[in-house]
Amino acid sequence: MSTPGILPIPSSKSASDPPVTSKPVSILDNDIARLASNVHPILLVSIPLLSFPRLVEDPISALIGLASTTAVIQLLYCLVCLPSTGQAPPPPLKPGQKRKSVKLAQDLGARLVPALLSLLLSLFLSTPLLYITLILFGGPLTTHLPHTALLALHLALLITPQLYYVHGLDALTWRRIVSLQLPLDEVVGMSMGACVGAWLGAIPIPLDWDREWQKWPVTVVSGAYAGAVVGKLVGGHLVRGWKIKMS
Amino acid sequence: MAPPKPRPPPDPKAQQYALSVRFKAQHALTVGFLTLLLLLHALAIYLFCSGFLLSRLVLPDRSECSIPPIQPANGYVAGNVEQGCWFPKRFDKAVIVVVDALRYDFAVPFEGGSGGKTRGQYHDQLGVLWETSVAEPARGFLRPFIADPPTTTLQRLKGLTTGSLPTLVEGGSNFAGTAIDEDNLIEQLNRAGKRTVHLGDDTWHALFPGSFDANLTRAYDSFNVWDLHTVDDGVTEHIFPLLEPEMRGQWDVIIGHYLGVDHAGHRYGPDHPAMGEKLREMDEVVGRMIDKLDDETLLVVLGDHGMDVKGDHGGESEDEVQAALWMYSKKGTFGRGNGIGLEPPRSAKERPVAQIDLVPTLALLLGLPIPFNNLGQPIEEAFVGAKGIDYKSLAEVGRLTAAQIQRYQGQYSEARKLDEDAASTTRPLWKAAIQQWQQVEATKKASQGALKSTYDAFAAYQAENVRVCRHLWARFDILSMGMGIAVLVGSVALLAAYAQAITGDRAAITPVLLGGGLAGLALGAAAGAAVGYLSSASIVQSTSFGAGLGGVIGISVGFWPARQELRIPYPRTFWGGLSFLTCLLLCIGFASNSFTIWEDEQLLFFLTTFGFLMLGSSLGQPDRDDRMLGTWNSVSFLAATRLASFSRLCREEQMPNCRSTYYASASSSTSAAWQLAIPIAIAIFLPSIIKYFFHRTKNYQGSAVIWIGIALRIGLFLVAGFWILDAADDGNWYPDRSKSLLKTTRVIIAQAVLALAFAAGYATYIFASPFLAVINEPAPTEALSSTSKPVDVDGGPSILTTINAKPTARPKLIILGYANTQGTRYLLLALTWLLALLLLQKPMGQGTLALCFISILNLLEIIDANNLRRSALGPVVLALMGSHYYFKTGHQATLSSIQWESAFIPLSTVSYPWTPILVVLNTFGAQTLCAIAVPAIPLWKVKPTLPGLLGRVAGAVATHSLVYGGFAVATVIEAAWLRRHLMLYRIFMPRMLMSVAVLVVVEVVGVVGGMVGVRWSMGSVGEVFGWEE
Repeated sequence: MSTPGILPIPSSKSASDPPVTSKPVSILDNDIARLASNVHPILLVSIPLLSFPRLVEDPISALIGLASTTAVIQLLYCLVCLPSTGQAPPPPLKPGQKRKSVKLAQDLGARLVPALLSLLLSLFLSTPLLYITLILFGGPLTTHLPHTALLALHLALLITPQLYYVHGLDALTWRRIVSLQLPLDEVVGMSMGACVGAWLGAIPIPLDWDREWQKWPVTVVSGAYAGAVVGKLVGGHLVRGWKIKMS
Repeated sequence: MAPPKPRPPPDPKAQQYALSVRFKAQHALTVGFLTLLLLLHALAIYLFCSGFLLSRLVLPDRSECSIPPIQPANGYVAGNVEQGCWFPKRFDKAVIVVVDALRYDFAVPFEGGSGGKTRGQYHDQLGVLWETSVAEPARGFLRPFIADPPTTTLQRLKGLTTGSLPTLVEGGSNFAGTAIDEDNLIEQLNRAGKRTVHLGDDTWHALFPGSFDANLTRAYDSFNVWDLHTVDDGVTEHIFPLLEPEMRGQWDVIIGHYLGVDHAGHRYGPDHPAMGEKLREMDEVVGRMIDKLDDETLLVVLGDHGMDVKGDHGGESEDEVQAALWMYSKKGTFGRGNGIGLEPPRSAKERPVAQIDLVPTLALLLGLPIPFNNLGQPIEEAFVGAKGIDYKSLAEVGRLTAAQIQRYQGQYSEARKLDEDAASTTRPLWKAAIQQWQQVEATKKASQGALKSTYDAFAAYQAENVRVCRHLWARFDILSMGMGIAVLVGSVALLAAYAQAITGDRAAITPVLLGGGLAGLALGAAAGAAVGYLSSASIVQSTSFGAGLGGVIGISVGFWPARQELRIPYPRTFWGGLSFLTCLLLCIGFASNSFTIWEDEQLLFFLTTFGFLMLGSSLGQPDRDDRMLGTWNSVSFLAATRLASFSRLCREEQMPNCRSTYYASASSSTSAAWQLAIPIAIAIFLPSIIKYFFHRTKNYQGSAVIWIGIALRIGLFLVAGFWILDAADDGNWYPDRSKSLLKTTRVIIAQAVLALAFAAGYATYIFASPFLAVINEPAPTEALSSTSKPVDVDGGPSILTTINAKPTARPKLIILGYANTQGTRYLLLALTWLLALLLLQKPMGQGTLALCFISILNLLEIIDANNLRRSALGPVVLALMGSHYYFKTGHQATLSSIQWESAFIPLSTVSYPWTPILVVLNTFGAQTLCAIAVPAIPLWKVKPTLPGLLGRVAGAVATHSLVYGGFAVATVIEAAWLRRHLMLYRIFMPRMLMSVAVLVVVEVVGVVGGMVGVRWSMGSVGEVFGWEE
């Protein structure tokens, strides 16, 4: 468990984190990125909307089918719109200075590897963790195994690829992400929105309306997609740069 | 003149003494103020409940065979059971078949598509009742049989045997539960020496323990609604042999209770092939019974209630109250009165009879006295004769029944000291009926019409009487409820202000609040009493309201001098907002029956939300120690919460989406054998886990070693021993050992554990010194190291635990355990309560309660790691945990989930006041444990002499109570608002009762346990480190 009670004072000071200095993430500064960033929420929200009847009717096959679509959308979003880990934001332009044309194709190739890695991490690291999270929140342990697993997969695809892609795997950054210390932007906003949406999506389940769509995990998946889109838009525009003060 | 004496330097001893006196005075006033708030809440709850919970007094009187309520007519001599007690009997024997949930339309033919109704699976399957009534009108009749809500089987059987109306609270009935204390048919059968056999639903045995023939009776569990056939097959298997001629001498009355139709409804709903199949089975069973029936036996088939479109029942909708009644005998004495066709009513709207009408009917047909408290009237068809002209008999049975009702009403008003108003509408009817009877009796040969109108007059009296009773017993007193809500809202708002609005030192403001409150209470009570005395209002009610309102106003006035130190108590921080939002969502959810039903799952959801956010926050802590501490404790908190959630006791409404795990099976209330491993595991591991938390800050010293290491462990092993003996008794593991020996041993063990907890534990708690150790260290050669992490509270200076901080080579005194002196010293109190509370839970509940305690320790560490001591987070999460673990210790927000048997853990007989206290500690064990732990939050790892600590403890206790206060306000208002809701009695009222009971319990425990307890822990720390300035 944790460290024992006896500790020299100086060592505990030296273990402290440096103060948070990071700035909100901006999307890449080119027209394609801007366009894609606007198309992205439309695609994301249309997925559950268009396949909702199938989702209600046969959640497993619908979710399997949707997963690849969402994965591709997220991959393209990372590739086209977001700066990769460690990629320095372009220096601010001096007035009158003309932007140098970016070699887009070359750039894309260099970013494909981190983007694919982000997707793989979402698949093999985030999905199991989110599965455990779902169980802890009261998800069914012994029944509905594929349902819960596919839900975890979709949550992972909505919450994490952009975070891995932008912030990498640095422990300090990730600790700041989970303690909500990073300033809000469309990347963090989308992830938080998906979490909040999934959380809200659980609310209608116990109601005695006897609707087919109340079944596990339809509401949570829908909530996560809606939340991701709302979170991205709100985080990217409305409250961009804000910080949540947890304590 | 002597020179002025120089002022003596302040004597440190005298100064410390003065400070200690001030602490004790402040402490006493704080306890007083929280008690005052508790009193106000109790007054509010009393006012609300006296308007909401309508009660009926259960009278001890019994009808006697030889004492008719009025002289029988025609010189009939009462008192002979063989002839019939008050009236010549018609039948020797009876077979009463209850087909649970037999709705009226199941028994009548389907009539085309009238009213847009389509033919359901349940139509035309059980035709025998209708067909016999039409084909053989003198032998059988069928009528709609209207139930008084609540339409639950238990309540219905009460009505069907006592003839009384259901009310929420039956005052005067026995403490432990369900057995009927009123006069009833079954008891009258026994008194008349008749042998009654019961087959089927075991609810009868809960209602009439020991009343049935021990050899022939077969009871079956009624709980498993998934099983459509076991009960029915059992009844059928055992009922038919009894109908054979050679067995007829063995019994007088058979009660067969079939459950298949009801279970098919619950499981599939009425419109399902399974229902059709079940009804055909019933049709066949009744047909066979008719064949077997002899001439002297009466056959009755009845439904105790109906079912709604989903096959459920409990409420007061038409489908739920419309059952069917069919009576049949080969004697051919039944008839139809004037102007009534031979055909039974086609719908339940025509000529319905009330279910209570069965009681006088059966009593008189079998020659029994009518049960004392019966309110029903005899059913016409049973007495009017085969030709439909025997109005003389009908008038006589009507007169006897009415006279018994009159006698009951007289006794009731006397016992209840009712004024005469209630009888104002019935008395003239009674007089008129009696007068009419006397005229008829005087004439030698009375006309049919005169006799009929006499019968009608008695029936009119009976009907009016039922109406009055229904009105009296089923009426909400809106004024009283409104007064209760007003006082409750006011006093909970004050609690909120006290908990969250004060920015200064709470303990310093408290005396004024207490003074204002007491003055207001006294003035208000006097004013209320005066109003009650002068006007027609009830004096108790007006005094209570005056006192409550006066107290609220008095305390509000008391806040005025301190207005500079107040702020509007809206949430200002992330955690405050989250806590507020969670409580708000729960409060709103109580207005919905679904959320109320699934409250246990919601609490898991919310606690996990808190757990993950605390985990995230801990991971973001810049200090590595804090980070590790918070992270691991958050993980443990999450795991413990989810692990505990596997312990479930499902309520009926959660079916089929819930599986009970609390007991050995869904239909038992004993623990499984494997569950006995839980108390043993607790005894082995729990003390070590607790020790770890003390050890981390070097506080495992002195009395802590004795209590945690030895006493608690012994106590926990005794608890395990108790439950093993209990299982041995239940499972009859040692058939050669007498039951009484096992019981006595068990009771002694339980009493020893309670003595250990409350006598030895409290003595240790009161007299222990803080858990510190002092080490004399010789001059070090290395640079010194501190013994403990510095505690930085509110930006104050870091406290080093070394006395000599200079790194010069000098000997040092090191105090071990300084960092958490206050917290560990107080936590000993929670440990003493923990032992007692664990004893009172079933093995599964002990497991969850132990997890609850570990979660409490985790929470304390998380709050320390994130420095959230002053946030509302801790008290609110503890309140949510209290609620969550309430469900996880085998309880639900229903009256039926109360574990009455827990009263007999340390006792052999019912003994006041211990029995109710034990049941309360079992029921609200989790809330009690969490409430005791609340003061540990502000005390955990703070500087021993932190100023204003007492005020913070009071604030935490008040914040914790505030959560439950909010729940109480929400559920009380919602229950009042939804008082006509179908689910009032099943869902909203039990939840409201639970909320108000929990509020009182938590406040009593918070004051008597926590707030009073702080006096000794802070006192002993003050003695060592000096009192706060």
